[in-house]
Amino acid sequence: SAMPFSSSGTDDAFDYLFKIILIGDSNVGKTCVVHRFKTGQYNEKQQNTIGVDFTVRSMDIDGKKVKIQVWDTAGQERFRTITQSYYRSAHGAILAYDLTRRSTFESIPHWIHEIEKYGAANLVIMLIGNKSDSLDKRQVLFEDACTLAEKHGLLAVLETSAKEAQNIEEVFTLMAKELIARNTLQLHGENPPNSIYLDSRPVVASPSVEKTQCLC
Amino acid sequence: QALLPTLSCRLEEVPLEVLRQRESKWLDMLNNWDKWMAKKHKKIRLRCQKGIPPSLRGRAWQYLSGSKVKLEQNMGKFDELDVLPGDPKWLDVIERDLHRQFPFHEMFVSRGGHGQQDLFRVLKAYTLYRPEEGYCQAQAPIAAVLLMHMPAEQAFWCLVQICEKYLPGYYSEKLEAIQLDGQILFSLLHKVSPVAYKHLSKQKIDPILYMTEWFMCAFSRTLPWSSVLRVWDMFFCEGVKIIFRVGLVLLKHTLGSSDKLKSCQGQYETMERLRALSPKIMQETFLVQEVIELPVTERQIEREHLIQLKKWREMHGELQCKSPPRLHGAKAISEAEAPTHKALEPIPSIIVPPGPAPVPKARKSKEKSREKSPAGPANGPGAEGNGVPGSTRELLHPQVSPHHQSKESLSSRESEDTYL
Repeated sequence: SAMPFSSSGTDDAFDYLFKIILIGDSNVGKTCVVHRFKTGQYNEKQQNTIGVDFTVRSMDIDGKKVKIQVWDTAGQERFRTITQSYYRSAHGAILAYDLTRRSTFESIPHWIHEIEKYGAANLVIMLIGNKSDSLDKRQVLFEDACTLAEKHGLLAVLETSAKEAQNIEEVFTLMAKELIARNTLQLHGENPPNSIYLDSRPVVASPSVEKTQCLC
Repeated sequence: QALLPTLSCRLEEVPLEVLRQRESKWLDMLNNWDKWMAKKHKKIRLRCQKGIPPSLRGRAWQYLSGSKVKLEQNMGKFDELDVLPGDPKWLDVIERDLHRQFPFHEMFVSRGGHGQQDLFRVLKAYTLYRPEEGYCQAQAPIAAVLLMHMPAEQAFWCLVQICEKYLPGYYSEKLEAIQLDGQILFSLLHKVSPVAYKHLSKQKIDPILYMTEWFMCAFSRTLPWSSVLRVWDMFFCEGVKIIFRVGLVLLKHTLGSSDKLKSCQGQYETMERLRALSPKIMQETFLVQEVIELPVTERQIEREHLIQLKKWREMHGELQCKSPPRLHGAKAISEAEAPTHKALEPIPSIIVPPGPAPVPKARKSKEKSREKSPAGPANGPGAEGNGVPGSTRELLHPQVSPHHQSKESLSSRESEDTYL
């Protein structure tokens, strides 16, 4: 389903359009992450999300214009019946937890299960541990997140801060690059899309981003 | 982020004299509520459409919603729930939402301030009152708006009425009711604005995408503040019909002509437009007038409800959460809530027999009611209840003695109006 889209003749043409769903427990900072991504600002007084919301931003990735559509969802379990219907059309999923709150990390397997159940089979999944500006309150080790991500075959783990603009751009860039790469593979019809590419990727983070990013 | 700057300034541009007149009219209505409700309901509706004077709004909402009666029938219940610890699973979610409701409103601006504390109490009490329902995040903005107009206990009962009478099922597990209403809204749009309907169909924009927050929060996060209050005034009087109409008016005026659609051809552009609605169409006077004039009736909504329910069953099977039927506004609620009130009405003029008979009979019934009184639903543990003499208690709870027949009961009925 992740195909490059040609634009319908309007001036904001793009090479790719990717739909990404952003999910995770209530109050882990999903909407703040999207808001930072979209506007470059941090909203101290963010209201809780009721239902589903969506945002679009264009990025330039290796000379390609990529439109990223982020579907922001309400975190409360009760809203899942509503948000689940948006999983199917998504190309990627960003799973968010709050690294200062263990329980939000512990529900990640549950969220992965949701994606497996309602999402497309080849959905790219990334894990983000938000609120890295409050490291003194850390309850989730980065290593634990990496272990979990590896176990479930996720693309990467990044620790982010919507408040201090840490790793937000990186999350979406990484996701976009992966989706482009998979598309290219699929388009050229070479190998089965997932396996080879996944196996060839480094498990440890690149030194430039140090220990807040892990490519599994 | 100018979310609620209009909150403290210009609520209504009603001339002071008119406002005073309205206040005295409303005071008269509130003091004789049952009579007005029984005989001049249309007048109440008209006055709600004109806007309830701010000074009386909180009280009026309680009368309209029936929460006032509900509170009196459940004296002390809120205090009872208030002292219970509550289920940690709900407390955690509620606590995380407290600072995320109207964060620019002075009442809710400070963490742990009285607004946030009361919000916690009200929402927690609801999870104890309806443990099978628990807490839904969309209840928080509703409760917050109520708390801006009344104390915690009153706000709690008003929330109960909204969740159980006006919008049953909206906040329940599975959220089926809101999804159904999304379909109902869309179907009604077909009649109200075929152009908007066609556009949304073509763009494959599910009603859930734009109406969830609108309906679940009763537009409290969507409209400018003065419009929110006017919409709520009408909503409390006329029920969910108002919510549908507001949604339809907004859709019609945003996507209802080919001219308007020129600038939002795609799905995203359309969504953006619906999220950033034009201030012109949300302006209080314009919006209220449009809502009043839009010919969408309760019957149409109910008919559409049956159609959509049938479709739902074909697609998903039986509803998983059974909700009580929706009551369309103040009149329907008062009729359903207090049938004993109605029974009381005609008795004095019709049944009182001539001769000496009424005297002992009346006394008897009074004794009977005194006996019954302590066992009635009014027998709450609230501190106020203890000091109240029997007769006053009867006034507060006329339903415990449904056989009043004497002159005394007539006079008590008159003064009862000042209570109810």
